[in-house]
Amino acid sequence: MFLAWKEMRRAKARFGLLIAAVGLLVFLILFQQSLQNGLLTSFTGALRNQSAEVLVYRTDGRRILQASVISPDLTEMVGRDPSVAAVGRITQGTFTVTPLALGADAEPVETSVIGFELPDLGGPRFLTAGRVPENTEEAVASDADAAGGFAVGDVVRIEPGGKQLTIVGLARDAQLNVAPTLFVTYDTYRAALASRNPDAGAPLPNALGIRPAPGVTAGQAVAAINALSPELDALTRDDAAEQAPGVAQVRQSFRVIFLLYGFVVPLVTGLFFLIITFQKAPALTLLRAIGAPASRLVASLLIQVAIVLGGGLVAGVGLYAALARGRIGGVPLRFETTAVIVWVVLLSVGGLISALFSARRVLAIDPYSATTGAGVGR
Amino acid sequence: MNEQDGLTGDGFTEHAPAQGWGPALIMEKARKVYPMADSEVVALDDADIVVEADEMVALVGPSGSGKTTLCSIAGGILSPTSGRVVVGGVDISTFGPKQLTRVRRELVGFVFQSVNLVPFLTARENLLVVDELGRRTGAPARRRADQLLEELGLADRAKNLPGQLSGGQRQRVAIGRALMNDPELVLFDEPTSALDTKLGMAVMELIRDEMKSRGIAAIVVTHDERITQFCDRSVHMEDGRVL
Repeated sequence: MFLAWKEMRRAKARFGLLIAAVGLLVFLILFQQSLQNGLLTSFTGALRNQSAEVLVYRTDGRRILQASVISPDLTEMVGRDPSVAAVGRITQGTFTVTPLALGADAEPVETSVIGFELPDLGGPRFLTAGRVPENTEEAVASDADAAGGFAVGDVVRIEPGGKQLTIVGLARDAQLNVAPTLFVTYDTYRAALASRNPDAGAPLPNALGIRPAPGVTAGQAVAAINALSPELDALTRDDAAEQAPGVAQVRQSFRVIFLLYGFVVPLVTGLFFLIITFQKAPALTLLRAIGAPASRLVASLLIQVAIVLGGGLVAGVGLYAALARGRIGGVPLRFETTAVIVWVVLLSVGGLISALFSARRVLAIDPYSATTGAGVGR
Repeated sequence: MNEQDGLTGDGFTEHAPAQGWGPALIMEKARKVYPMADSEVVALDDADIVVEADEMVALVGPSGSGKTTLCSIAGGILSPTSGRVVVGGVDISTFGPKQLTRVRRELVGFVFQSVNLVPFLTARENLLVVDELGRRTGAPARRRADQLLEELGLADRAKNLPGQLSGGQRQRVAIGRALMNDPELVLFDEPTSALDTKLGMAVMELIRDEMKSRGIAAIVVTHDERITQFCDRSVHMEDGRVL
């Protein structure tokens, strides 16, 4: 501790800059982790956080809710399967909506509207405020949009047509396609559609929400439904969210970024201490010559690594805690404790492993070099 | 004997100190051979030398004569290939690396050829590091460091880093560090080579005064015959042999 601490005290700027660099990298990792999760939640949160355990698309809809159209015969076929206890029709469309709570000059926004036939088969799963809609004048919004004129009690107007809906509840993380999202009853959806286009007929469902029969798991129901017809594409709730178009690509892109960062932090730490070890080789040689055990010098090095990593992690997590709130371009961000724990452990282990190269250099120091002058500091 | 390092468990207290009763260094038929591809280089050839407890010996000889090898073996930096080496009453001939590290820490003091201090430690800390690496006595070590710096005329430089000290001051700090562990033997390897003549002579006077006042044995390796006047006797070396 004596050597480690004295050296750090005498080189505050050098070690301080490294701690800042590690802290910045940790912040970037955590911030991008939040960005990824926020982005995916905005994309598919409404699927992951709707109430049906199983969703059934039409195959040619390519797992895009709006592109899938389920015909009545397919609906009937699914409803007759013994693995299915109940079927709820789900429909979805994009509407231009003006959030009137923002004032007379409020800009209309493109809004995903999801209509559900049964609240427990396609309605919002987790309400953070209010209740589910009970008539054709009400809607539940995603809580991420509350500040944008979609809070409980706010009124929104569907354009054109002017049908107004009152927000009566907020659903947790329930956006679709990175847009404000409303959950309404099937009848409300039909009314909204008619308001926009009086000639529009009754909408066909875009998907079916399934409740498996008693004793049937969601996976078994998926397999049974998919066996009914090649036109049916059943997925569990989580799979419907994960396998939505673009999700895998987003995850893959971020995975590459995280992998790079995961290497950069240990690399920066390892290289820094390797350079420092080379630079102070004369002093280390002298210390070995006057009787310093190699293990003591390695311990001193590891203490410095731990202080740098610890300082960097605290700084990075602190910055993340301060800034990972609010929204970026409509994507909600939040502090994610699990991500913090995982990354702190990974980076600590990686940093310590990278420091082993420096430790090896220290262990290789020959005290005899002190007598030749090659390793003796001035 | 301590099984781990071959030394007594409490740091040599079971050994009678060499000072005042016997030689600080006994080297008998000490030999150091470095194997090469198809031959071997004899760096030290059956060297015999005895340095009494308060004796100051100048080790003189041309480059490559084996002076540094002899000193390194005497100080526990190198192990002899064969022969017997006794430092402060402890036979270190067969000691392994860990045991030799302890010998260097507790029995021997070093002042190397170049000015040799840890650059990120102050003058006082360069002395205290000896205690930190070993017994960690705390307050007694701090008192000893302050006393040594006082005696070496460096009390007002205690908080200076090596880079803020002159060459002579740095060498005096190195001498203080070599004395910090109350050694049986101090090894000076060309202690004046980095100093001008006048400063070199002053440093040698200081070394002689410090060694004699404490009754500590010393070996001074040098090319410079003028240095020998500060020592009790001179030992000449050539081609790895003590003449």
